[in-house]
Amino acid sequence: MGISRNRAASSSSSASPCAQLRSAYHDCFNRWYSEKFSKGRCEEDECVAEWDKYKACLVQHLEDKHLRQILLESEASLYSVKADAGSSGDANVTSH
Amino acid sequence: MVRAYTQEHVYRHPWDRVTTAAWRKFTDPDTPAVLSHILDVHTLSRRLDSATGRLLTTRSITVRSPTLPFLVRRVLGQDAVVCHCVESSVVDAPRRSMDIVARNASLRGLIEVEERSSYRPHPDRPAEWTVFRQETSIRCKPLSALAAVAEKVEQRCADRFLQNSVKGREVVERICKYLEAESSSAAAAASC
Repeated sequence: MGISRNRAASSSSSASPCAQLRSAYHDCFNRWYSEKFSKGRCEEDECVAEWDKYKACLVQHLEDKHLRQILLESEASLYSVKADAGSSGDANVTSH
Repeated sequence: MVRAYTQEHVYRHPWDRVTTAAWRKFTDPDTPAVLSHILDVHTLSRRLDSATGRLLTTRSITVRSPTLPFLVRRVLGQDAVVCHCVESSVVDAPRRSMDIVARNASLRGLIEVEERSSYRPHPDRPAEWTVFRQETSIRCKPLSALAAVAEKVEQRCADRFLQNSVKGREVVERICKYLEAESSSAAAAASC
């Protein structure tokens, strides 16, 4: 599955059109996570606008087939938490 | 053939700070110099379940493999390969738990690497410290025509994984210190 032949540079830049949108999203997410979510204030995702832009860019530019598949599947399972948790194989989520 | 490695580390920082640092591990501007094998990280899906306070994320992590053994180099005609890993995580804010499973998505015909990690409040000092646990299992496909070669790749990958998780820990420690300084200066500013 998807070994990129000696294309370290081109592979890492394959989604680089999205680099700016990604860092805008990360900035928003990191702030929200540290200030709200991690402190237990988890009612609302405040970075939806940034996420939508970043994701639209990925859908357009992500080259690797396997990763694309995950990206597109995640859109389909947007309304199913179970599908997400199941695919992560997280049997130990409820432990401890 | 399966090799498994377990590691544990105690961060002397609270759970919310350590998990914040864990998210920043690959995106921090100073990280590329330390974790030079990481080429690219993308968030492929993220979902907040506000009813339960759980955050579900899938990311892709693109890594450059260590230099491959001679035979594999001959077979593939290249010194190293670019591999994709897929990382799924669940953060449960009310329970204060973070669980991460990372698997390789490339080269699965040859080798399967699975890394399970968790961050939990330390049982003795839950408000101040955080326990990190990580279990890495590396399995090479027994019927692979390249079994002997795969074993070498396996060992190489295992070495690289252990080295890197130590480096990854150092990065998380450094970001925690930075966040600690930031929060105390923010508190000072807020009190003015």
